[in-house]
Amino acid sequence: MSSVPASAFLALALILFCIGLYGALTKRNTVIVLISIELMLNAVNINLVTFSKYGMAPSITGQIFALFAISVAAAEAAVGLAILIALYRTKKTVNIDEMDTMKN
Amino acid sequence: MNLHAILSILVFSPLLGIAVLALMPKDQEKSIKLVGFLATLPALLISLAAYAHYLAGKHLSDFSVSVEWIHFRGMNVEAPYFAVNYELALSGFQLLLVVLTAVVATLASIAARYVKKEWKGFFMLFLLLEVGMLGVFTAENLILFFIFFEVTLIPTFFLIGKWGYFEREKAAYSFLIYNGLGSAVLLIVIMILFAKTGTTNINILKDILADPSAPVSGDLKLGLLIALLVAFGVKLPIFPLHSWMLRVHVQAPVPTVMIHSGILLKIGAYGLIRFGMGLFPEQFDTLSTLIAVLGVINLLYGAFLAFIQTDFKMVLAYSSISHMGIVLIGLAAMNEAGVQGAIFQVISHGLISALLFFIVGVLYERTDTSLIGNLGGMAKGMPVAAGFLLAGAMASLGLPGMSGFVSEFMAFLGLFKEMPWLAAVGTIGIIMTAAYLLRAVLGMTFGKSHREFTGVVDLKGVEFVPVVVLMLLIVLIGVYPSVLSSPLQATLETIMPGLGG
Amino acid sequence: MENAWLIPLFPLISFLILLLFGKRLKEASAYVGILLTLASLIYSILVLFERFSEPTYVTKFDWLTIGDFHLTAGFEVNQLNALMLFIVSLVSFLVHTYSKGYMHGDERFHVFYAYLGLFTFAMLGLVISPNLLQTYIFWELVGVGSFLLIGFYFYKEEAKAAAKKAFIMTRIGDVGLFIGMALLFWQTKSFEYSDIFAAVDAGQVSGTMITLTAILIFIGAVGKSGQFPLHTWLPDAMEGPTPVSALIHAATMVAAGVYLVASLFPLFSASHTALMTVAVIGGFTAIFAASIGLVQTDIKRVLAYSTVSQLGYMMLALGSAGYVAGVFHLMTHAFFKALLFLAAGSVIHAVHTQDIEEMGGLWKKLKLTGPLFLIGTLAISGVPLLSGFFSKDEILAAAWEGGHPVLFVLALVAAFFTAFYMFRLFFMVFTGEARGNQKHVHESPSVMTFPMIILGVLAVVAGYVNTPWFGTFLGDWLVDGNEALAAHGHHEGPVWIMILATVVSLLGIYLAWLIYGKRSVSRNWLSGSGDMLHTVLLNKYYVDEFYQLTIVAITKGISYFLRFIDTFLVEGIVKGITGFVQGLGATGSKMQSGQVQTYGAVAFIGLALLAVIYALTGGYLR
Repeated sequence: MSSVPASAFLALALILFCIGLYGALTKRNTVIVLISIELMLNAVNINLVTFSKYGMAPSITGQIFALFAISVAAAEAAVGLAILIALYRTKKTVNIDEMDTMKN
Repeated sequence: MNLHAILSILVFSPLLGIAVLALMPKDQEKSIKLVGFLATLPALLISLAAYAHYLAGKHLSDFSVSVEWIHFRGMNVEAPYFAVNYELALSGFQLLLVVLTAVVATLASIAARYVKKEWKGFFMLFLLLEVGMLGVFTAENLILFFIFFEVTLIPTFFLIGKWGYFEREKAAYSFLIYNGLGSAVLLIVIMILFAKTGTTNINILKDILADPSAPVSGDLKLGLLIALLVAFGVKLPIFPLHSWMLRVHVQAPVPTVMIHSGILLKIGAYGLIRFGMGLFPEQFDTLSTLIAVLGVINLLYGAFLAFIQTDFKMVLAYSSISHMGIVLIGLAAMNEAGVQGAIFQVISHGLISALLFFIVGVLYERTDTSLIGNLGGMAKGMPVAAGFLLAGAMASLGLPGMSGFVSEFMAFLGLFKEMPWLAAVGTIGIIMTAAYLLRAVLGMTFGKSHREFTGVVDLKGVEFVPVVVLMLLIVLIGVYPSVLSSPLQATLETIMPGLGG
Repeated sequence: MENAWLIPLFPLISFLILLLFGKRLKEASAYVGILLTLASLIYSILVLFERFSEPTYVTKFDWLTIGDFHLTAGFEVNQLNALMLFIVSLVSFLVHTYSKGYMHGDERFHVFYAYLGLFTFAMLGLVISPNLLQTYIFWELVGVGSFLLIGFYFYKEEAKAAAKKAFIMTRIGDVGLFIGMALLFWQTKSFEYSDIFAAVDAGQVSGTMITLTAILIFIGAVGKSGQFPLHTWLPDAMEGPTPVSALIHAATMVAAGVYLVASLFPLFSASHTALMTVAVIGGFTAIFAASIGLVQTDIKRVLAYSTVSQLGYMMLALGSAGYVAGVFHLMTHAFFKALLFLAAGSVIHAVHTQDIEEMGGLWKKLKLTGPLFLIGTLAISGVPLLSGFFSKDEILAAAWEGGHPVLFVLALVAAFFTAFYMFRLFFMVFTGEARGNQKHVHESPSVMTFPMIILGVLAVVAGYVNTPWFGTFLGDWLVDGNEALAAHGHHEGPVWIMILATVVSLLGIYLAWLIYGKRSVSRNWLSGSGDMLHTVLLNKYYVDEFYQLTIVAITKGISYFLRFIDTFLVEGIVKGITGFVQGLGATGSKMQSGQVQTYGAVAFIGLALLAVIYALTGGYLR
């Protein structure tokens, strides 16, 4: 059986990351931005798993780390959405360019 | 008897006062002031005892203390330790400055009777400041010196910013920024020396730097000296780094300004002598013409500007610049007469400016003004205060029989040996000093009175203490200068061999 | 003589007592002052007599150590010092006594006596100093004493200005002295007079250096002795109480300059240029001040200009190498000028004005003051048989012998002027009709007349200690045992000089009598012939105005220029730096848009850039 080369996994991760980055930097809707961030995290996870299998010193650590990242991402999504809802309640908007209270 | 603990007790004794004050209620004005005053006494007594110890013919090295404090080494296990020890010591020069500090601090705590609010905070900061000053003059270690140096900055900032006159906050900020920059430069110098030599003990450093095989090149030494000149030049102050000092002298409250012009400015001179001249004698010699020129500029610049001021405090501020020029002149001479003159000037100006600023404070308390024009004819209403003011001015302009003369005389004598032309230009400053001080003081005391002096009382009660004590010391030094010169001989001998002369 | 240090100590004690307890003693202060100066006087007389038979006494101790140099303090009793001690303590004692009457009723009576004590202490200390440094110290202290006493009536604006002026102008001179002293120290490694003279004698000091230091030291003397161009403070100093003028600004302090040159005479005589400078300045001052004295109308100012002129005479004598002549005139002048001032004080005390236009006809009312004033006037004019005659003759002889014919003529003219203006003063005050508002004119109390009588006697007889007729005791004694001075001892001048001097002074007196006594010549005879000249003289050659327009203006100009630099350049640079920092901060904060996405983009670009750099350089920037 011909194995899928490591470069294919890495290319997938790169594409995923770029999509995520593009979304995170350009989309006005905060929910989309959050989803894009999830995409980037998943790209990272793919990288971790790839290297745990095809890396210089293959070991289980990469997969364990990916699991950590997934659980942290879940927690982060929960907190992020909670903040988003709170913001929506006060500002009546989910548009990211209207959330500039960091200025001044 | 074991004397090693004495210096630590001396330096940290004001902390006792802080502890007592911390336990007192805020509103007991009288007892707070009393405690503040009493807390300065232990340092005074111990410093006088140390002087008596010296007079009894014993060695000042009895007081040295050295305790291991911090030490570490680099990545390489073979490398020698980098050690910072807790080291305090007294030499003749340091002894004199410690006595001066203790005396002026005690007298300033008497002058603190004019403080109008938040006495508790005032005295706690004041005593912390005293710890810093005593530490600066006794530290034998550059890092320790730097720590104490910083300890003097912060309380002074608050003392000016909170208890000063109208533009106090601006004055406090310019004080902090200028001096902060100065101490940053100082810190860089210390760190370079530390990194290169592995020690910050002043005496060891001196030996290492005197060794031509030391890991510090001549150019680097010159650079370090110039940096030191900037760092302490801010403090002294040297033209053009002086503008912060004018604001501070006008805005700071009486006790602070007594301490400030009496002691804090002297840290600059002390640093230049102890570190600038002590550590880099050859480079100092290279720069001596520059320093002499700076000194003459300071002297004349301050004198000419003092000549046209309308506020007596400004006159005194510019006169401080002018008098610090004499310190530089003496140092630039690089001979015994000059350096001794510079040190004399440091101490003499400390006493004289404390006296004059106290009297100004007294006047301001009673008349709410320090403008020369508003005070004309004061001798009629306050003859005693006017008399002391005149006597103080005479001391300041270098009247023989008072301390100012001895220092001015020696500093100029020293420079006349090395650079007669520059010294001759500098003597214009002597004339100008007489001119601006008489203009200001006679403008205030003599002539027709411009205002009613009814209800304005003369000096009274406890106010006599600072005035009389300072005056007696000024006259004592003027009549019998050996009280200062004999402790200094040993110090001069340690500085002079490095000068090759 | 070993206790001669006590002499200055007595007045110092008086000063301290009066400073601390004066307020309680009130007018009893006078007794403290008088008794203690009497003690000084008695002691000085003893020392003087002892000095006739014994050699010079010097003692010293370490005062200040500078490295290897040990500066000493101490005292020395040589001929000149012993004589000066006597003169100073005598005049001081007499003035102390006189002031008891003159200052009676003044609110600050005790302060006056305290200041007198301080001054006397400093002056006595000055004259027994064995070294230049100690001389300088007391030199400055007498300046302060003088300053305090000139400004005694501190509430008067004129007194304030005069005191300030006196202090600053003498300080200008003092700085010259200071520079000279410092330079001399590094040449000879000592401040001791004896060491300096030895070094000069041994040729250790170069000729230029001797000339330079001597002239610089002479500048100090110029300031103190009111010589041109630093003379303007002395007439203004007349704002002080009259006894002070007699003590300080006639007899003692102003003569300190002469004393200084005299005590450093071996230094001066080693340089021809220096001596010439002294002689020229002295001669010029003599005639310059005398010409101003011709037209002044304030009794004290006339005397002040006369003092300046007489001091010029003394300088001229010293500059012409007439050591004895200078010191001799210093002594006689001290007596007759103090007498004149005290008598003038007595007149002022009686009529309460200083303007001679408002006096006149006082001869009959002031039965004692009048004749005493006349004695002083005759003495200063150089009328034969009085003290001034002998000393002036000695000076003229010295000038002639010294080979300065021009200066000799100047001195003669000055002598003519002196005789003229002094008798003008005398005639206007004491003869003719009473002008002005004079009520209750009465003779002064005996406490004031007694010192005047003593001085009157001395003004007559003091000249006989050194005359060509009866022997030159003073001259021989002064140079005894001192080879450097022996060559400059008494000069036996030709007889025609004496006759010429007498004729000149009598002519002056006659002219004054014609104009102001007999009034056969109009008073406007002089001023009418040269209105311009009269105005110029009345305004003292506009020297004050000249200084005001030049030195004072330049000083102020520099000050304002520096203030400009201070506020604009120094502060400007500081403002520039703070402005730059603030601007940087402002720009930085503008870049914070608050848009999370912008921040993210910037961070990502930065990261990417770092990655590129890493990839290109391998992690190290080289």
